This record gives sequence, C-alpha cells and structure tokens, in this order.
Amino acid sequence: MNFLLLTQLLAAAAAVFCIAAFALRLRTFLRLARPADRSALKGSPAKGVAYALTLGMAPWAKESTRRHAIAYLRGVGFHLTVFLSLGVLLLSPWLAQVPGPIRIGLAIVTGFGAALAFLGFVSRFFEKSLKALSAPDDYFAILLVSLFLAAGTVALWNLALLPMFYIASALVFVYMPLGKIRHCIYFFFSRLFFGKFFGRRGVFPHGQQEMTA
Amino acid sequence: MSEKTETALGVLQKQVNQPLAAALEVCARCGICTEACHYYQAEPIAAHMPSMRAEELRKVYRSEYDWLSKLFPAWTRSEKLTDEKLATLAEMAFTKCTLCARCTINCPMGVDTPLLMTSIRAMATATGNAPEILEMLADSAIEKGRDPSSYLGYFLDSIKDMEKELQELTGNPQARIPVQKKGARILYVALAGAHTILPAAAIFETVREDWTLSIYEAANYGVFLGDASRAKAIARRIADEARELGVQEIVISECGHAYYAMRWTAPNWFGDEFNFRVRSIVEVIADYVQRGRLDLDPAANPEPIAYHDSCNLGRKGGVIEEPRIIMKAVTTDFRELTPSREEAYCCGGGSGLVANPDVMDLRMLTGKPKVEQVRRSGASIVVAACENCRLQLGDLSAHYGAGFGVTAIADLVVKAMRLPGAKNTIETAMTSAQLDAVRVEK
Repeated sequence: MNFLLLTQLLAAAAAVFCIAAFALRLRTFLRLARPADRSALKGSPAKGVAYALTLGMAPWAKESTRRHAIAYLRGVGFHLTVFLSLGVLLLSPWLAQVPGPIRIGLAIVTGFGAALAFLGFVSRFFEKSLKALSAPDDYFAILLVSLFLAAGTVALWNLALLPMFYIASALVFVYMPLGKIRHCIYFFFSRLFFGKFFGRRGVFPHGQQEMTA
Repeated sequence: MSEKTETALGVLQKQVNQPLAAALEVCARCGICTEACHYYQAEPIAAHMPSMRAEELRKVYRSEYDWLSKLFPAWTRSEKLTDEKLATLAEMAFTKCTLCARCTINCPMGVDTPLLMTSIRAMATATGNAPEILEMLADSAIEKGRDPSSYLGYFLDSIKDMEKELQELTGNPQARIPVQKKGARILYVALAGAHTILPAAAIFETVREDWTLSIYEAANYGVFLGDASRAKAIARRIADEARELGVQEIVISECGHAYYAMRWTAPNWFGDEFNFRVRSIVEVIADYVQRGRLDLDPAANPEPIAYHDSCNLGRKGGVIEEPRIIMKAVTTDFRELTPSREEAYCCGGGSGLVANPDVMDLRMLTGKPKVEQVRRSGASIVVAACENCRLQLGDLSAHYGAGFGVTAIADLVVKAMRLPGAKNTIETAMTSAQLDAVRVEK
C-alpha cells in the first residue's frame, strides 16, 4: 500500500468517525424538547427565519458587524474557504484532471482563507477581549483549521503533497465533533430559533410591523 | 456534591431543551457581541462581555455534559459547580445582565444569552440564591391572588376616590372606573398607584371603550426569578379574572415585563385555556390614534421629547412602531435616540434590578450610555412605556444631573387631549424612591 492510499484511507476513516459522531450529537439534540410557541403572531416566523439565514447575516445588518466589519468578514471568508476546501477534499482523487490554472486559482483562494484563519489564531493572543474568552480548545481549533486550509492550498499547488492534506483532514475530522468546531452543527438551529423568535414578534425582518385593529 | 449544587444541576437538566442546548453549544467565542452590552459600554472589562457571562454557565454545562471536558477540564476551561460557583453565577445573572437581548441581535450566531441567564436565575431561585426582595414581591402577588378579599375593600374605596379625580379630569360627572364588570370587552391590568390607572381611564372614557379594571397588578416578579411556577401563578390570577368576566382582550399597562409575560409567555403556560387577545395599552392607544378616535393637540407637548424603547416591549416584544405613531400625534418636537428601535440600549434597570436597592450604584453606572444618548438627542423629556425604565431613567437623570424629565406615553396623550381638568404640566420626575414609597403605602 502506498503512502497516498494510506493517507486517503486515514482521511476516509476519520470522515466516517466525524459523520457518526455528529449524527449521534444531532440525535441527542433532536431528542430534546422543542417548546411550541402558542402566542398569537404579530409578524411571520417564516420571514424571520428566512431573514436570519440570509440578510440577517449581512455585515450591515447588525451594529456589531458594522463596528467589527473587518473581523466579521475575516470570519465569513475563512468559513467559506473551509467549505471550499472540503469540496476540494472530496474531489481530490480527480484533482490531476483539473486544469492547472483552475487549481492554482483555487489554491490562491484557499491560501487566502488559511491566512485569514491564521490571523484569527494570532488575534486570540493579542485582542484583549478575545484572549480573555479563549480556552486552549479555541487556539487549537483555529490552528488546526488553519493547517487544514494551508495543507489544501499546497496540495492544490503541488499534487505530490496531497498526503499532507489528507493527514490534516483526518486530524480536523477527528477533532471536529469533540472540540469547539462542533458549533457548526448548532449554527443553523440557533439561527432558526432566532428567526422564529424575532419573526413572530415582527421585529425582523424590518418593516413587517402591521397595525392590527 | 452538596444538596444545593445537586438541586441546581437538576434544574439545569430539566431546562435543557433545543433552544437552550443550541445557545450553550453554538458560541464560537468570537467576541463580536462585546460592545453590544450596555454594561461593557459603561465599563469595558472582560467580565461585562456577554459571551464571557454566558461562558460561566457553559463551563458548568461542559463539565456535566461534554466528555472531552470531563477528561480534560483545563482544555475547555470547564468548571464543576460548587456552592461558591453557584453564588457567583446567581450574583451575575441577577445583577450583571438585564436580559435585554441586545447581545442576541448582535451575535452572528444569534446566541440567546437572556435564555442562559434566565436558566441561571432558575437554578439560583431553586437553591435560595435569588435576591430576597424579588422572592418577597412574587410571593406577595401570589398570596393576593389566593385571597383577594383581604384587600378588595380598600382597593374599591381607592378606586372610588380615583373616580372623582377622573370626573374632574374629564369634566364628565358620569365618568366611571369600572371594576369587575362582567362582559366588558377589555380587562385593563394596571400597576400599583393611580398614575397607571387615571390616564388610561381618561382615554378609555373619551373613546367610550367598554372596559373594566383588573383587581390585580400587572407586575410579575416570578418572571425575574426565572421561576416558571411562580410566574405562572401570578399570571393565572389575571387569566382567571379575564375568564370569569368574559372579556375578549387583556390590555396591559405601560409595563415592559408584564406585557412580555402576558403577551408572549402566558399563552405557552396556559394553552387553550388562554384564549384572549393580549395587547399593551400602547398598541391600543396607537389604534385609537390611527382610527381618529382621539382629538389630539400636539402643541400641548411642545418640548423636545424622546422615546426610549423598553427592551421587553420593543426588541423582545415587537411594539416598536406603535409608540412612534402616538408620539408623532401628541408632540411637536419628537426626537429619536440613536440607536433606537430594536437596537436601543437598555436603560440599565430592567429584569428586576430597579426593585433591588443593593444595585443602585451598578444601575447608575450601566445606565450611563442611555444618559449620553438622551443628552445627544437634546430632549428635555424622555418617554418610556415601562415603569421600570421610567424609574431607572428618573434615577439616572437625578444622578447625572442630566435634567431631563421622564413620563409615560398615556400622560402625554392625556395632555394632548386638552381635557378640561388636565394640569398644564405632567409628572416627569419619577424615581425608584417614589416606588419604594408606593410599596410602603401599600
């Protein structure tokens, strides 16, 4: 068995572990009660949810993200490149068939994401409020994802380095459901509850307040 | 593990449902919410970061529910619950957060920090760590509900006296404040004191509304305690009264948390039994204004006047446009505070803080961003549709020598109605000391 195949199998096994662990988490979460809201509607929960998952995420939608636009966009950019890198990972057995300029273009994007992620790691050391909030888990998680993105970038640049990407991916997959990165599966639920709450009251999206007699 | 911590963890376990679990798990500790909090605005220290406060509960949660944290607590900074930790959590949840939800709307994940803080309040209340004054006020309200006859005679006498004032105010000797009127359309639930009854009565009288006054107060201190059973018992008195009288609608006085409890929470407590429409008096007055049922002269209120959005009424309650409809109809120089509406700053007195004399200094500190907002607006009067906000704003104005007056929406409306017996001035100097006086009197 060559080294490439070995690392591919390692990444695949880690991915299976990750999916199984997340499935278990999700099952535990979905077994919890979801209280029904029986209060009379003032606005639309559906519109609120749609807003929470779209325009409500825009940098201009919140005072905090207007104030911290750069930090917020850094976070958004880094998360988008994580998804892009996961796509690259899925397509990796066929990367050799992707034209060179496209691979290089993708490498530039994921490399940018890696830089954004690494900046996030560094900022946890220097930004007072972030430092106060951070546990070792936070530093490790962002460093791990930075390495994953960086490994994806070098693998896109030079296919001979794909095993490095697979090893980094395996590490991320194993840690994902255990540590802080697991917040990803709760994100949609949190935004869903947010949207339902404020949508029901007609607070979000703006302009849906109706005067009812 | 002590009995107290065991009880507290039991309360936490009972409360963990999907929204709470999401709020506990989703935070990425990005710190974006930091400046959204008025505590942090007033005193920028790490302990005032909303995410930091929420972390205090998460540490305990992780130590119980997350196996990585159980194995390596230092790695995730998890912490076992102890009696000391419980007392610290209780102190934080009851005094360092007003449950205003400003951090929630500013969080990229939408973390419901008020839900986390309410859970801590519930844990604290169940273990005797809640502020005594809140427990006392909640229990006294429940007691009144059990036996209204103990105070009904005195209450009806005071309403008779108030009726005379209403007749003078409206110039109508037939004006009445109906109590326990069966079949009335509206059950109006006021707060302690004539100031939340008379203006509403004058407005109802003018539009010939079919209404009756509740024998109970709207305030619900059970909500502040995070104690659903006590909150429910307090709300039940009003729900039962509404059912017995056969009203169609419960209208809540200008009180943020009372509105929130009856409008948004009570239907979930009582289910099908709770088949009344619930509105704030602010929504009802806005409706009258829009339908042209009130003859209003905005020149009666020529001062620069700002409206403060109460968190329970505005951001958490959805009553955002209605007060503005009224303000524009009854004033000539209405000014918006910046930021306002759902982005408004909490005044610093919400969620029971105004009732707690031990936190006066803290209230004055954390209300500073609000005072600065008012100063920037140039308003000489601030209107708030919430009693706790009005008391806090009155205290703030006096503390900082800001010189602005504080009043309720209904008072401005009554002044703009140019009633024959109306005074030229309105009461604008409300402070928490006055509230204490009312309590002593009662």
